[in-house]
Amino acid sequence: MGEVILTMKGIDKSFPGVHALDHVDLEVRKGEVHALMGENGAGKSTLMKVLTGIYTKDSGTITYEGREVEFHNPKEAQDAGIVIVHQELNMMNHLTVAQNIFIGREFMKGGLIDDGKMNDEARKLFSQLGIDINPAEKMGNLTVGKQQMCEIAKAISHEAKVIIFDEPSAALTEAEIEELFKIIRDLRAKQLGIVYISHRMDEIKVITDRVTVMRDGGYVGTLITADCTKNDIINMMVGRVIYEDPKTHSMVKPGAPVVLKVEHLNAGKMVKDVSFELHKGEILGFSGLMGAGRTETARALFGADPKESGDIWINGQKVEIHSPQDAVKCGIGYLSEDRKRYGIVVGKTIAENSTMASLKDFLKGLFIDKKKENEATQKYIDRLKTKTPSVDQLVVNLSGGNQQKVVVAKWLVRNCDILIFDEPTRGIDVGAKSEIYHLMNELAAEGKSIIMISSEMTEILRMSDRIVVMCEGRKTAEIDIAEATQEKIMHAATLR
Amino acid sequence: MENFKNLPIIKKLGFNRIVLVGVLILMYFVFSLGSGRMLGSGDINNALNMVDYLGFLALGVTFVIATGGIDFSIGPVMVCAGLIGGRLLVTFGWPLWLALVMCVIVGMVFGVFNGILVAYMGLPSFISSMASMMLAKGVGSVFTHVQNSNWPASGEPNSWYKYFVNYNGFPTGLLFLLVVAIVCAIIMNKTKIGRYILCIGSNREAVRLSGVDTRKWEALAYVICGTLAGIAAITYVGVITQVQPGLGDEFNNNAIASCVMGGTSMAGGIASIGGTVIGVFIISLLRVGIQAMGFRPDYQYIITGIIVALAVFSDIRSSSRKK
Repeated sequence: MGEVILTMKGIDKSFPGVHALDHVDLEVRKGEVHALMGENGAGKSTLMKVLTGIYTKDSGTITYEGREVEFHNPKEAQDAGIVIVHQELNMMNHLTVAQNIFIGREFMKGGLIDDGKMNDEARKLFSQLGIDINPAEKMGNLTVGKQQMCEIAKAISHEAKVIIFDEPSAALTEAEIEELFKIIRDLRAKQLGIVYISHRMDEIKVITDRVTVMRDGGYVGTLITADCTKNDIINMMVGRVIYEDPKTHSMVKPGAPVVLKVEHLNAGKMVKDVSFELHKGEILGFSGLMGAGRTETARALFGADPKESGDIWINGQKVEIHSPQDAVKCGIGYLSEDRKRYGIVVGKTIAENSTMASLKDFLKGLFIDKKKENEATQKYIDRLKTKTPSVDQLVVNLSGGNQQKVVVAKWLVRNCDILIFDEPTRGIDVGAKSEIYHLMNELAAEGKSIIMISSEMTEILRMSDRIVVMCEGRKTAEIDIAEATQEKIMHAATLR
Repeated sequence: MENFKNLPIIKKLGFNRIVLVGVLILMYFVFSLGSGRMLGSGDINNALNMVDYLGFLALGVTFVIATGGIDFSIGPVMVCAGLIGGRLLVTFGWPLWLALVMCVIVGMVFGVFNGILVAYMGLPSFISSMASMMLAKGVGSVFTHVQNSNWPASGEPNSWYKYFVNYNGFPTGLLFLLVVAIVCAIIMNKTKIGRYILCIGSNREAVRLSGVDTRKWEALAYVICGTLAGIAAITYVGVITQVQPGLGDEFNNNAIASCVMGGTSMAGGIASIGGTVIGVFIISLLRVGIQAMGFRPDYQYIITGIIVALAVFSDIRSSSRKK
C-alpha cells in the first residue's frame, strides 16, 4: 500500500425524511483494494454518488491527491481520474466494443469517425489488461463477463487513478471472477486506488487489503482484511442496537390452514425452483441480498412477469395466474418496492387510487358513484391514519409513508386476503415505519396473510413469523422466527 | 394572482380555460382590427363550419392522447368515411340514413383496427396510426375509383343531412358538437372508461398491477376516437358537400393542436374536453381571421405552427414550475 490518494471525511447527506449518510469516513491508498461493505441501504452507493458528484454532500470534505475537491457531476470526477464500474453495465449493445469504450470522445479524421484508430487504441488497452476481446465485435455478442472487462478497459482509458467497482461479480461466473481478480491485482500493482463494493464475504477475504464497514448510513470502522475473520465483518455489518424488539415466536395459530402454496416456481434467471407455503394470518418474511430474486419471485407469482413453470394453490385449489388480473381475482394484492412506478398513479387523487383495483364495485349504472367512492376512501384514510386534507388530494403531494398507506388502502378496498409487501418501508421515515409495522400486525391478526420482502434485517426479525432466505434466485433457507438470528440469515443469504 | 386562482368559481371553471377564452376574444378583436372591419356573421359562419367537423375529430383524439398515445389517422379516416358514404348513397342508391350510419361505422372500424394494433399487438401508436392513415386514403380512393363523392346539395332531395350542420340559418352543427362534447366530458370524468383511460396515461404499469385489463381500456380510447371521426364525417359532408379523395392530413394537425392548446397533455394522464372545444374555436378563428386580414391561406400554417409551439411551451413551463 502506498500513500493516501483519496480521503472522505465526515461526509453527511440527508434526503427528505432520511439521514442517508451520517459523518462517514473513507480513506483509499494507492495500490490497495479497499472493500466497502454494509447491508442493502447502508449507504455505500450514496457515498460513491457523493464522491462522483451525482449527489451534493451536506457537509464533510473530500481530499484527492492532496487537494480538497468537489465534483459537480460524474464527468468532472472522471476527468480528475475517479471512475465507477457500475453493477449494471451502461453499454450500447448495437455498437462495437471500441465504439463503446470511446463513446463521447471518438477519434476523428477529417470530420468523420475514425473507427480504425479506435479499434487500435482499444486493442492496446486490452493488451495492457491482458484480456482477449476483439474491439470490432458488437458489444451485445459478448458475455456479461467480457462486457464487464470492457467497462474496466473504458475506466482505465480515462487514465483513472481511483476505480470503484460496484458489485462487479454479481453477474459473473467463477472463471470470469478469477479473470476479474487477475485484472484487479494488476491494477493494484500499477498503484491505482481501488474501492471494491461487494456482498460476498469470501471475495472480500481473497481480493481486498482493507475493509470499511457502513451501517444505516453511518461509519462503523475500518479493518485490515488479513487481521479479521468473516464473522468479525458480519458482526460489524449487523451488530446495531436493535431499537425494535424482534418477534421471539410465531404468532400464527397452530394448525392455521395453508392459504397459498407455491411449488417449483421458475421465471427467468432470477427465480429458480422456488417453493413455499403461506399460512392464514402469517407474515412470511423474504430475506436476502439485493438481486437475490425475491422481487422477481413475487412478480412471477403475481403474474406481473411471465413464468416458465410452477404450480400455485390458493386455499387448496390449483389456480392459473397469467396476469395481475388473474392474481387479483384470486385475492392477491402486490405492493411494489417501487411505489411511484408500480404502486400508485401519482398524478391522481387518493380516492382514484384507492378504488383503482375495485372500481366495478363503485359504479351506479354507467357512472362512478363518487359519494360511495369518497366514503370508502375516507374509511381507509381514518383506519390507516393517512395524513391528508381530503380524499381529493393528489397522491404526489403525500409523503412516502402516506403514499404507502394509499397502496395498502387500494388492496384493502379490494378485500385481498393475501398481500405481498415488497420493501414496505423503503424510503419511509421512522415514525411512519412503525405505523406500517403496526398495521401489518393488525392485518395478520385479522386473518390476512402477508408475504413481506425486506432487505432490512431488523424488519425481517421484528415482523416475520417465518423467514425464507433467498440467494441468487434460489431458496437457501427457511427459518422459524424462534430460531432465527441475523447471523443465520446472513449466512444463508451469502451461500453460493 | 394566486388568490384569484384559488377562488372557488375560478377553480371550478379552470384557470387555463378562462385564459383560453380570453385569448379567443382577444383574437377576435385583433383580427377585426387587422382586417379593418369587425368580423361579421359571414366570417363567424365560416369559422363555425370548420368548428363542426374539426370539433368531433379533436374530441376523439383527446381520448387517445389521454392514454399517452396519438392518432394521425383521424383526418383521412373522416374523409374516407365521407367518400364511402357518399358513393353508397349516390351510386349504390342506399337510403341516406344508412349511408350516414355507414360513415360512423367506417370510422369505428378504423378505431377498432388502431386499438387492436396499439393495445393488443403493442405497436407504437405513431406507427399504427400512420398505417391506418395510408389505409384510409387508399381505401377511400379505391372505393370511389379516385372520383369525388358528391353528396346532394342543399335543396336537392335527400339533403336533410345538411340539417346536422345548419337548419335555416341556425347553427345546429354547433349544438350537435356541444351535446357530444358534454357526453364526452361525462365519459371522461364520471365513468370507469374515462377513469381508466386517464390513469393508463398517467402510469400504465401501476394500473396493470392493480389487476386492471389495461389493454381493453386503451383499445377503447381508439374506438371512441375512430367513431367520433366517423361522426365528424357527417358534419364534414354537411359543410363541403363534395368530398375529394386523398385529403385529410391537415385536419389531423388542427385537431391535435386543438387538444394540446386546450390543456391535454401529450404525455397522457391529463385531458380537458372543455379545453379541447375552446382549442377548436381558436384554431378555426385563426384560419378565418388570417384570411380576413388579407393573408394568403398558406400563411395560416406558419402562424398556427408558431402559436401551437408557444401554447405547449408555456404549458410545459407552468407544469414544470409546479414540480
